[in-house]
Amino acid sequence: MCSAAPLTHRTMADPDLDFQTGESGASATYPMQCSALRKNGYVVLKGRPCKIVEMSTSKTGKHGHAKVNLVGIDIFTNKKYEDMCPSTHNMDVPSIKRIDYQLVNINENYMSLMSDNGEIREDLRVPENEVGKEIEAKFEAGDDFMVTVISAMGEECAVATKVLANK
Amino acid sequence: GVPLHHGMPEVCAPPSMVSAEQRQHAEHVFLSFRKSKSPFAICKHILETSKVDYVLFQAATAIMEAVVREWILLEKTSIESLRTFLLTYVLQRPNLQKYVREQILLAVAVIVKRASLDKSINCKSIFHEVGQLISSGNPTVQTLACSILTALLSEFSSSSKTSSIGLSMEFHGSCKRLFQEEGLRQIFMLTMEVLQEFSRRENLNAQMSSVFQRYLALANQVLSWNFLPPNYILSLSRATQNVTLKPTESWREALLDTRVMDLFFTVHRKIREDSDMAQDSLQCLAQLASMHGPVFPDESAQVSYLAHLVEGLLSMINGIEIEDSEAVGISNIISNLITMFPRSILTALPSDLFTSFINCLTLLTCSFGRSAALEEVLDKDDMVYMEAYDKLLESWLTLVQDEEHFPRGCFVQPAIQVFNSYIQCHLAAPDGTRNLSVNGISSHEEEEINELQEDDRELFSDQLSSIGMLGRVAADHCIPLLTSLLEDRVTRLHGQLQRTQQHLMASSDLGSVDRKVLDDLYEDIHWLILVSGYLLADDPQGETPLIPSEVMEFSIKHSTEVDINTTLQILGSPGEKASSIPGCNRTDSVIRLLSAVLRTSEVESRATRASLTELLSPQMGKDIVWFLRRWAKTYLLVDEKLYEQISMPLSTAFGADTEGAQWIVGYLLEKVINNLSVWSSEAELANDTVELLVTLVEKRERANIVVQCESWWNLAKQFASRSPPLHLLSSSVQRSLMKALVLGGFAHMDSDTKQQYWAEVLHPLQQRFLNLINQENFAQISQEEAVKQEIVATLEALCGIAEATQIDNVASLFSFLMDFLSSCIGLMEVYSNTPETINLIIEVFVEVAHKQICYLGETKSMKLYEACLTLLQVYSKNNQSRKRSDATAEEDQYQDLLLIMELLTNLLSKEFIDFSDTDEVFRNQDQGTPASNRTVSAADVVLYGVNIVLPLMSQDLLKFPSLCNQYYKLITFICEIFPEKIPQLPEDLFKSLMFSLELGMTSMSSEISQLCLEALSPLAEQCAKNQEKDTPLFIATRHFLKLVFDMLVLQKHNTEMTVAAGEALYTLVCLHQAEYSELVETLLSSQRDAVIYQRLADAFNKLTASSTPPTMDRKQKVAFLKSLEEFVANVGGLLCVK
Repeated sequence: MCSAAPLTHRTMADPDLDFQTGESGASATYPMQCSALRKNGYVVLKGRPCKIVEMSTSKTGKHGHAKVNLVGIDIFTNKKYEDMCPSTHNMDVPSIKRIDYQLVNINENYMSLMSDNGEIREDLRVPENEVGKEIEAKFEAGDDFMVTVISAMGEECAVATKVLANK
Repeated sequence: GVPLHHGMPEVCAPPSMVSAEQRQHAEHVFLSFRKSKSPFAICKHILETSKVDYVLFQAATAIMEAVVREWILLEKTSIESLRTFLLTYVLQRPNLQKYVREQILLAVAVIVKRASLDKSINCKSIFHEVGQLISSGNPTVQTLACSILTALLSEFSSSSKTSSIGLSMEFHGSCKRLFQEEGLRQIFMLTMEVLQEFSRRENLNAQMSSVFQRYLALANQVLSWNFLPPNYILSLSRATQNVTLKPTESWREALLDTRVMDLFFTVHRKIREDSDMAQDSLQCLAQLASMHGPVFPDESAQVSYLAHLVEGLLSMINGIEIEDSEAVGISNIISNLITMFPRSILTALPSDLFTSFINCLTLLTCSFGRSAALEEVLDKDDMVYMEAYDKLLESWLTLVQDEEHFPRGCFVQPAIQVFNSYIQCHLAAPDGTRNLSVNGISSHEEEEINELQEDDRELFSDQLSSIGMLGRVAADHCIPLLTSLLEDRVTRLHGQLQRTQQHLMASSDLGSVDRKVLDDLYEDIHWLILVSGYLLADDPQGETPLIPSEVMEFSIKHSTEVDINTTLQILGSPGEKASSIPGCNRTDSVIRLLSAVLRTSEVESRATRASLTELLSPQMGKDIVWFLRRWAKTYLLVDEKLYEQISMPLSTAFGADTEGAQWIVGYLLEKVINNLSVWSSEAELANDTVELLVTLVEKRERANIVVQCESWWNLAKQFASRSPPLHLLSSSVQRSLMKALVLGGFAHMDSDTKQQYWAEVLHPLQQRFLNLINQENFAQISQEEAVKQEIVATLEALCGIAEATQIDNVASLFSFLMDFLSSCIGLMEVYSNTPETINLIIEVFVEVAHKQICYLGETKSMKLYEACLTLLQVYSKNNQSRKRSDATAEEDQYQDLLLIMELLTNLLSKEFIDFSDTDEVFRNQDQGTPASNRTVSAADVVLYGVNIVLPLMSQDLLKFPSLCNQYYKLITFICEIFPEKIPQLPEDLFKSLMFSLELGMTSMSSEISQLCLEALSPLAEQCAKNQEKDTPLFIATRHFLKLVFDMLVLQKHNTEMTVAAGEALYTLVCLHQAEYSELVETLLSSQRDAVIYQRLADAFNKLTASSTPPTMDRKQKVAFLKSLEEFVANVGGLLCVK
């Protein structure tokens, strides 16, 4: 059913490890001409995968060529980054994936997550933020729920929860 | 006594000395003091004993407010003595702080005004008293007199400057009317005397000069008086700017006396070097130049008045070198007299005088234009010459638009001069003077320009319209001039690019290229193209633009000397130098000017092919496609039926069924295709380019030619296959491109061709999409980048298709899009965790509803409602139990909500705008479902949508102004359109809706408050219809009754809201008569003062007298609203008393 090979995961705790992207053939980023980027889309700024929250153009002199000014928010750390480049240049766009898993267990801050083909992974920590608290609370309450995991450029993080409707 | 001094130190102390709390408390002390009853004795005492300015100020304010509030309770004699007291007080204390003195004089003015309609009080003696002050000759006293008059003027003007004294607009209006017939003229006479006196003196010391200045400003105020004509109701609109002088008949003697005008010219000559005073004196003259109305007994009076004005003006200007500070004032005088005096009066001037005037105007315009250019070079903050130049150009436009009233050809020479000087200022040296500062040094600075800065074609559109119009008036000169300048620049540009190319072959370092020469050429070409565009064509919104008659006549006039074949040859060979073509001087000039632009375009295109794109100017690229679009709308396939006479060259070159038209359509198409591939990185240029394409296909006649071009089909195929380079374009450009391709599909083609076209354009889109989403493992691969890109591209294309909707294609586009909409709902599930995709899916629905709902008949509308309802259901289901906390969670949600509300508002708009003719446009398709089978209504969808939106709307989100406005617009719409649905809402939803209304009424902007008030009447009417008591809506309206009652009776509110609040109150009173009586009783019983009690009781009785018992009847409602206005005026102020 699942065409993808099992992901080689990496936790946020060890950022210096060398990593591979999960899928064979799919790269972590791909290039795109600056002008074709869009607000609400994604871009790599200062080596970080960011969601574009502001995008504007400017030029030097009336007959100059356009430059694109980008403001992005790191999808993992929420940090703000800015960059400017000629609009003909290519920028890297991160491949973003969001996968929903069912939470099976929490063991010493690591989540046991089951994908919809039944495979279990236990390599992701409960994040230390609101969603993390939410996950723990729901787990304590015995709710059945899904966890959305976002992954980009080899990093992964749980970003949302969703209670299963039929329960 | 009131512990007034007690609060003072806290209010006046520096911020560091007292806490905010202390300060607030202290301010509260003053506020309650001002509301206390009959504070006159204590106020007088304070004024006589206190040494603290702020306390004096508060005492004066308290007196003013109390006099107004308690007017009818006060003895007339005590009012008179109070006024005398205040005036004497000020006179005896020349050293009062200015703001204290002004406040006391304001109190005097308010008393005089309030008394002016009260026959038992005589306050008219004030003018006599002031007259004596003026004749005292003492500058301090004269200044004081001026302050009194100024205060009177602003009180009686009944404008936004006027103090609010809680009286009806009718009262204000009557006061004003009375004042402008008597008091105002007395003030004017007094002022004239003072000015006369001062203008006679040789030397003015500083103090006298300051008095002079004050009276000049006062004169300006009088002449700027907004005269209230008889039978007009005063409206308290915002301070109207640029009031023209329209005095009543009684002013005839005063204002037609030539000595008045002469005096102002004399005054100006005397003080013109003082820039502050000069502004006032010139403004006085400008007001006199705007004079019109019943003050003139007949036309001859008007002619001689104008003649005197023009003579005075000419002799003033001719003798002097104009100061910077005079430019705007002088241009105002000219602009006013040209705008306000009828053409017949202007032409009745002695012809010598008229000619001198036009010559003077010409010289002045050219000179201001040059000075404006200098200001730009120096980058001055205050662009006085630019403003003056704009005014004069606008005046020229007014004049030449009425050309037929004036002697034939009288504007040609002036037009040539103004046009030449404009061109000269915008071209680089040596032909022009652009960027040259006074000493002849050229500056060349590259500044950063952001996308928010408007393009010159919009920024200077007024100037360019005037210059374009003058160019038409002098077409014989201007069109050939533009052509030769542009041809010359293009040749030079071509040469410069070639040299640069050779240079690059040697060094290949782009950095070593000197861009100065190129940039100068680009800037020259930029302005030449803009002026040419404005000269050759107009850009009316929504109408078919016609070839300007002057241009048509010019072309016809010369058509006999024109060789049509050479003309076509010049047109058809944009790659060749025009002058190299034999017989090139026998061509039609209008076509030749277009050809010059095509030559520019060709040089640009060739440079891109030679990989010199980086050397080109995207700005010039924009100018070219902008021009071509404007030109094409007017000239391409010129429709001979629209013209009385038509030029042979123009109809031969661009008429329907001509080779010329076919050739140029092909050329434009090539241009578009080339631009889209080489300029994808320049969003604005790509956008202008695709707009040119849309123009080519949005009219059926043009589209018919377009679809015959092979390149069009290639473009369509290329876009449909998403092959490079079109996919590099920004999403908005891609949408417009899709729109154009769809519009082209409705051109005339035989059925095979048409089928083939759609097979090339739309079917691949559908096919690829279906193949993808029908894959068994779609859910698994849905997050793969390539899949996501395909989905996004499809959704973008759908938005573009929706944009292409027109009344004659809506039937087929609707069916096509509907298939997608249901698939989109499936996508909502698959991408429920991918906010940017969800957002785009909702946008597709928004666009479809926006563009199509107004054309859809009942059956089709219902289909769309159903689809929207399902969309909202899925959205709601997926978001209900979802918790996100990533960085952009709030932003994403905000955008979703905004789009959903937009969708709902679009669906509701069908109730206002409906072009559907019972499925007329679908006649051949519909099997007509009977209306009774109606399953889903707009109301259901909208209320369901509100159900989703409401729980998500937080007070935090309402802080986004656009979201807040959209939200309140939506809920007011709902209450107005479907009041019957409101009682059926689920309890929670109902409660939050009511809470939203209350919140909007009480703590949002007045605009939103008004919207909420408007929502109340239909709700109350709904309750009355149902006649059920104790329903939640019934109980809610009872609560609103109290809110609106308090708002109208107890709180200060702005007058604009009285009507909306009044209507709401009336329907609520009808519904809850007992509760209303109770509210009134409670209010009355809290009054301790018998007199006030009686006044209030009377007022409440009067309020409902005309509508007892109140019923929901329009006539009664109107009567109530009228009484309400009186009520607010009579007792509104009273109830604010503590």
